[in-house]
Amino acid sequence: MKFATALLATMVSLAAPAAAHHSFAVYFDNERPVTLEGTVTAFRFTNPHGLVVIDVTGEDGATHSWRAETNAPVVLQRRGWTRASLRPGTRVTLSGWQARDGSRYLRLREARDAQGRLVGTAAFGQNDG
Amino acid sequence: MKTRALAALTLLLAAPAAAQEGPPDMSGFWGPVFDLGEPAPDMIARLPENTVVIADTGVAEFPIGEFGGLMLTAEAEAIAAEWRPEVELSLDRVCLPQSIIYAMQGPFPFEIHQTPTLIVIRYEYFDQVRLIHMDDREHPADAPHSKMGFSKGHWEGDELVIETSHIAASTITNNGLDHSDGVQMIERYRIDPASGRLTATQWFSDPARLANNGARWIEWQKRAGEYIYPYECDPSFALEYEGR
Repeated sequence: MKFATALLATMVSLAAPAAAHHSFAVYFDNERPVTLEGTVTAFRFTNPHGLVVIDVTGEDGATHSWRAETNAPVVLQRRGWTRASLRPGTRVTLSGWQARDGSRYLRLREARDAQGRLVGTAAFGQNDG
Repeated sequence: MKTRALAALTLLLAAPAAAQEGPPDMSGFWGPVFDLGEPAPDMIARLPENTVVIADTGVAEFPIGEFGGLMLTAEAEAIAAEWRPEVELSLDRVCLPQSIIYAMQGPFPFEIHQTPTLIVIRYEYFDQVRLIHMDDREHPADAPHSKMGFSKGHWEGDELVIETSHIAASTITNNGLDHSDGVQMIERYRIDPASGRLTATQWFSDPARLANNGARWIEWQKRAGEYIYPYECDPSFALEYEGR
């Protein structure tokens, strides 16, 4: 597994994210985009937010668990997501915005499978109604 | 016989005209719009004096310490200073719905069910339901406070005007500024004839917490064939946040 984080050069033009239960501006840093490649260990699909947990191994060989909070599943459903969109054991690449407190926690912008295909029909942070 | 046929024809011809003279039909599924148009000048002009229109509708939200021009009283300042975001995501609080003051501008759809005497609004956000009484009743002094409050509406031409009281204390901007249970809200809804969008001004006043008044400009687009999904908030999400 490869750990790739803070791909600032390629991520600076991310669209503004949408709020759901809690304020994005308070919890997440729009200036700290992050991209992670790893293996899904859990996926929950409940409101107020879905959550993807992945194991990410860095270049130093250490593995860390990252949590990616999604928009509310009521929003995800309109973008083609289901409870079965991500399964434990599968490889994914997640991108989003990291928590302001610097923890291994982010708001998800998009998820792609091992073949690079987008999960759902559109990334988040565009028109999230 | 001829007279009866003529009467029927007259009724038939009169029907479309009568329908146009009634209030507009706002029934249906309305989804949030994030590329807001310019607020209608005449609707903005009807906002009371000492009102600031805040720009946190839909996608945008304020970071800690920013309130978009709302002027906080000392009481509100003290509450905001104590506010901690992690507490809002605790197991006890993560599934507490916000009041209509905050909820109506969020990125979630709603359905309007309209009758002459009652309008029902079903919000997807936290499965909340709101009754707008269109009859002659007054705001009852002893009504319990709730997150949706007590709403009384009337038509002014093509505008639906709703006055709401008895709103339980909750957040205004979701970043530490809370309103009291004395907050009052007046909404004006109108279907924009050019875009077909449902547009609204949401005005609120809470002298205990705000030295001025606040308002928002909000728009929604009608979406045929869509439905409200169950929200069914699951508080165990808070455990994931705590485990970060």
